Amino acid sequence: MASGKLAPFALTLSAVLATAPAAAQKAPPLPTYTPAYSPTGVDERGLWMESDEAERRLRDSRSVIKDPALTGFVRDVLCRTVGQDRCASVRIYVQRIPAFNATMYPNGAMTVWSGLLLRVRSEAELGAVLGHEFGHFELRHGVKGFKNARTGTDIMAWAGILAPYSPSYQFGAIGQIFAFNRAQEREADLQGLRYLGASDYPSAEAATVWTRLMAEADASALGRKRKASHNYAAGFFASHPTEIARAAYLRKAAQEIGDVEPYPNDRYRQALANWLPEFLSDQIKLNDFGGSEYLLNELAVDGWTTPLLFARGELYRERGHPRDLVSAAQFYQQAIDQGGAAPEAWRGLGLALLRSQQPAPGRAALREYLRNRPEAPDAAILSTLIAE
Amino acid sequence: MNLRKIAIAAIATSLVLGSPAVAGNKLIASGQRVKVAKSTMTVQPNVEWNKMGARPGRNSETWTLDGDGLNDLTFYGGIESGRPLFREVDKKNTPLPKVSSTMLLTDIPALLENSYRVALQTSAVQIDAVQPVQFAGTNGVRFTYSFSHQNETLRRRGEARAAMIGGKLYMVTYEAPALYYYDRSYEAFRAAAESVKL
Repeated sequence: MASGKLAPFALTLSAVLATAPAAAQKAPPLPTYTPAYSPTGVDERGLWMESDEAERRLRDSRSVIKDPALTGFVRDVLCRTVGQDRCASVRIYVQRIPAFNATMYPNGAMTVWSGLLLRVRSEAELGAVLGHEFGHFELRHGVKGFKNARTGTDIMAWAGILAPYSPSYQFGAIGQIFAFNRAQEREADLQGLRYLGASDYPSAEAATVWTRLMAEADASALGRKRKASHNYAAGFFASHPTEIARAAYLRKAAQEIGDVEPYPNDRYRQALANWLPEFLSDQIKLNDFGGSEYLLNELAVDGWTTPLLFARGELYRERGHPRDLVSAAQFYQQAIDQGGAAPEAWRGLGLALLRSQQPAPGRAALREYLRNRPEAPDAAILSTLIAE
Repeated sequence: MNLRKIAIAAIATSLVLGSPAVAGNKLIASGQRVKVAKSTMTVQPNVEWNKMGARPGRNSETWTLDGDGLNDLTFYGGIESGRPLFREVDKKNTPLPKVSSTMLLTDIPALLENSYRVALQTSAVQIDAVQPVQFAGTNGVRFTYSFSHQNETLRRRGEARAAMIGGKLYMVTYEAPALYYYDRSYEAFRAAAESVKL
């Protein structure tokens, strides 16, 4: 997987500070930005060269969503967050990966994963994450992290020669590498909040991303019959602060900035509307019933729309316990009754009914599906199910 | 040390390090009926295949012609209800979907798709045509699909034939890069798949 390849220099957002949060200041005006930055020094130039190569591969990757409207919307949110002068040089690649993440290359290429777009609820929340990633770029975290890791491994190598029976030096050096990484993540979080503070978006929404992510992790764990648990302090090898810590210091810093005016999220929903069914479908195929059900309920906070009902039917039919099949059939039926459902709702309804021993109405629903989608790729096999 | 000694040392090292690991790959003869996947399933191939020593899971085995990245013929010999299609890498955090004895034929393509999505960590898995077929002497399903690994540009195509027999899943899958390899070995797959008996 690519994250392995990118690990040395891509700074990721993914979940997981031991040090006490420093007192955040009331958002000061952003410093003047110098566009078209060129890397200086052999380390930074080398890192940029590698990033350029990785970006070339990324550009041709099959996982990149080539939809100018969607990419344009993400760019617009970034520009509204960090300001027009800063955002102009960033290249954004929206990737179809159903997990919560965004990454920033040292050369200013940004990836935004579809799982992130499915999980944030408003432009402000998306802006908080994009601002965090842009913070890594503006603060030159790529090269600093690389130099820190090199110094750490140098100390480990020399300690191995000069003080071979004192593993504490090496242990300390390893811990320092990870602690530095966590400090960078926290710095980027607070930088992201400064951008939000200077933008139209309310900075109070940065913390909600993390609380919701924790709730989803709990739901996933319960759905897999595991105990839900969160760490209050980051582990020795953690690359990121814990979600609890992030939510706490972001909330505190946002309170100091004091902009809690809610921002309407209609535009966010409209921008995602075309892709929502696709992103939901990717999520449901992850075999994570608890997490997916939590996400659907979050999305349906203002009511169950047809695409949400259909997705819920698919989720329940996928797990397939006898009681799930009954619920699935109800969700499909509600989607159909609400209007605007794709013919696939009839397919789901038919298959759910067939599996729960209701052949007659099941076949009728499948016939309805095939009437509307005679060219369906599975028409032949469904016809045999109808004929049986 | 002169050059000759260096050369000998290099050859000796390569013999020790370079010999194939205890993979236990085996030649499958053409035209003979063989038992596969530690099950009662038998197959009669019309060309020679190589059986890979490494199995994807308990009741499965993989054959190949040029290496499993170039053509991969995998037999699943009766996966029981409640078990995943192949070995789970991270049971705790990314469990695979499980076979269910009440699955309909149309649920088999979905099971394969979702297992691949989780195992390969990719969203680029697509099921194409799904048709009825006679498989191992019973009503089965035949479906084609395509997929690529996360952040890879190579597209692979696949075809599977499967049936639920006695509440267990029996399946043959064939996968190869869409470019050149898929078409080249397709006939060898078809012959093997059509010869499956229980």
